[in-house]
Amino acid sequence: MSTLESVLYGFEVALTWQNVMFVFIGVLAGTIIGMLPGLGPISAIAVMIPLSYGMPPSSALILMAGVYYGAIFGGSTSSVLLNAPGVASTVATTFDGYPLAQQGKAGKALAIAALSSFVGGTVATIGLMLIAPQLSKVALTFGPTEYFALMLLGLTAIASLSDGSSVKAFISATVGVMVATIGVDAQTGTQRFTFGSPKLFDGIDFLVIALGLFALAEVTQLIISRKESLFKSGSNIGSLKITKPEVKKMAGPVGRQSVLGFLIGVLPGAGATIASFLAYITEKRISKDPDSFGKGNVVGVAAPESANNAAAGGSFVPLLTLGIPGSGTTAIMLGALLVVGVQPGPMLLTDHPDVFWGVIASMYIGNVMLLILNLPLIPYFARILYIPKGMLISLILIFCLIGVYGVSFSQFDLYLLIIFGVIGYLMRLFSFPPAPFILAFILGGMMEQSFRQALTISNGSLRIFFDRPVSLALLIIAFASLFVPFLIQRITNRGKKAKTS
Amino acid sequence: MLHTADRKVALVLMAISLVYLILSYQLPEFPYTQVDADMLPKSLGYLLLGLAVLLFIQNKPETEEQKAQRTIKKEDLMLMLITLVALLLYVFFLEMLGFVICTIIFLIFTMRMYGYLNWTRNVMVSFIFTFILYFSFNYLLNIFLPQGILPF
Repeated sequence: MSTLESVLYGFEVALTWQNVMFVFIGVLAGTIIGMLPGLGPISAIAVMIPLSYGMPPSSALILMAGVYYGAIFGGSTSSVLLNAPGVASTVATTFDGYPLAQQGKAGKALAIAALSSFVGGTVATIGLMLIAPQLSKVALTFGPTEYFALMLLGLTAIASLSDGSSVKAFISATVGVMVATIGVDAQTGTQRFTFGSPKLFDGIDFLVIALGLFALAEVTQLIISRKESLFKSGSNIGSLKITKPEVKKMAGPVGRQSVLGFLIGVLPGAGATIASFLAYITEKRISKDPDSFGKGNVVGVAAPESANNAAAGGSFVPLLTLGIPGSGTTAIMLGALLVVGVQPGPMLLTDHPDVFWGVIASMYIGNVMLLILNLPLIPYFARILYIPKGMLISLILIFCLIGVYGVSFSQFDLYLLIIFGVIGYLMRLFSFPPAPFILAFILGGMMEQSFRQALTISNGSLRIFFDRPVSLALLIIAFASLFVPFLIQRITNRGKKAKTS
Repeated sequence: MLHTADRKVALVLMAISLVYLILSYQLPEFPYTQVDADMLPKSLGYLLLGLAVLLFIQNKPETEEQKAQRTIKKEDLMLMLITLVALLLYVFFLEMLGFVICTIIFLIFTMRMYGYLNWTRNVMVSFIFTFILYFSFNYLLNIFLPQGILPF
């Protein structure tokens, strides 16, 4: 099939009335959850997974993808209106978005955010459409050695690039793999850490971890802030109009940052958050009047918003072509796909073209829907932030419980869910990032299998990892990424020095 | 010496890695494989031990932000404990009393606790939400939630 035919086929899948409805439900739920400070895209997807039980795999992924980019789209609304980013990737949007809102130009900021997000999302979808099939072909030649190296790179990258202490990020990832070792070993049948309990033979379900570590733990954040009203009633957001000179001023940055954001999203470990910060910093540096940034410069809203949406789209490239998630969010999607019986990877394109092209086509539709939802409806939409928090917390708790019970029908798993909720809360308390944990948990089992397969092929010699050029290159990059945190620290220190002197 | 939170956490992590290592060394051997099932757990155990030691040595001073994150008002802490107990009770009674009864009671109680004071709306939302969820899971998704003591 030529690319054009494939895309048309994708639209055929995405435009069935069920799938259009799922895109709509996805982006709507994503936008709403994304708006709520405290609940991130991982929780948003995890909470929506129960809805996808029994759906055809293409619809399930269409729904979850919609939730993801919807959440990143919606996160900007609370960044602008409340100075409280709904998701981490819209933190950079607050820098100029909130000052604009204080000047009574909230409407303008929201309109800019929506438009740039739309451009970023669309550019990413085009990129995904062009790059993914090519990468799939390359990936078909990959053996267990390359896969192991690739997954190791994914893990070291996310741990190195996560904010805060990288030692803590690595600890988080290590414990994630440890939890993944629980259960019966697939290769030898050895029981590991099951303590003889049949309930642990299959290991711990990923949904238990996703809902516990993220949704349940993030609810505690809502409990603490339950009394703060999310949205001042009766506040006027002003006109949504954007002037022509402003459009001219933003066109360049939005175009640049969409492409850059997409490329950053493709890389393992780096994601929407890093892309948005990088976009903000570079635009500020190359701008003619860098001083106006932070005081309500329209470019300061447009650049990070186009970059984070483009990066969200880019992160689907490794997921769909290699079957390897590069971030916590795509890790959850991988887990959910495995539940509905699809193994993403290079074979996806030939085995399930409906999933592959359907999702890509649905992203065009979803982005248009988000633009329509967000632009004219923003004033009404923002009212969703009125939902009383007390009610919301209780409903989310029930969603978490039923999400786990609906897939395992086991009381034991519900207790585990609560335990992981407590662990997730403690991790946030002591500033351990939870995203490396979930990624490591999902990659851990796959990594061990490919490592042992590779060693079985080579009769136990580790040289196999260094003899194959692709795996050698990947391992070198993985090793080098361990030193990235030091590099970042030096650059920021130098930046601080330059500022003071 | 132990005055920073990081060091206390590091000690707990060391203990965890030691227990994990002891358990890994007790894993049974399987003779017909290149790499046995105990390889990964053993290396993970040592890796965590190393990282915990590193965290202990590093002993970074906490930023104000992190400190603020750990100071929680007593009232909030109480509420979280109540949430925990409510969750445990819900799970304990779920299969016994059934989804509908448990969920309605849970929702009414927790909403009230989180400061939603309008009784009429509270009870209405709890009933409507529970029934919508129950019927859509049982009849649309064919996922049967526990029926418990109710006849439907």
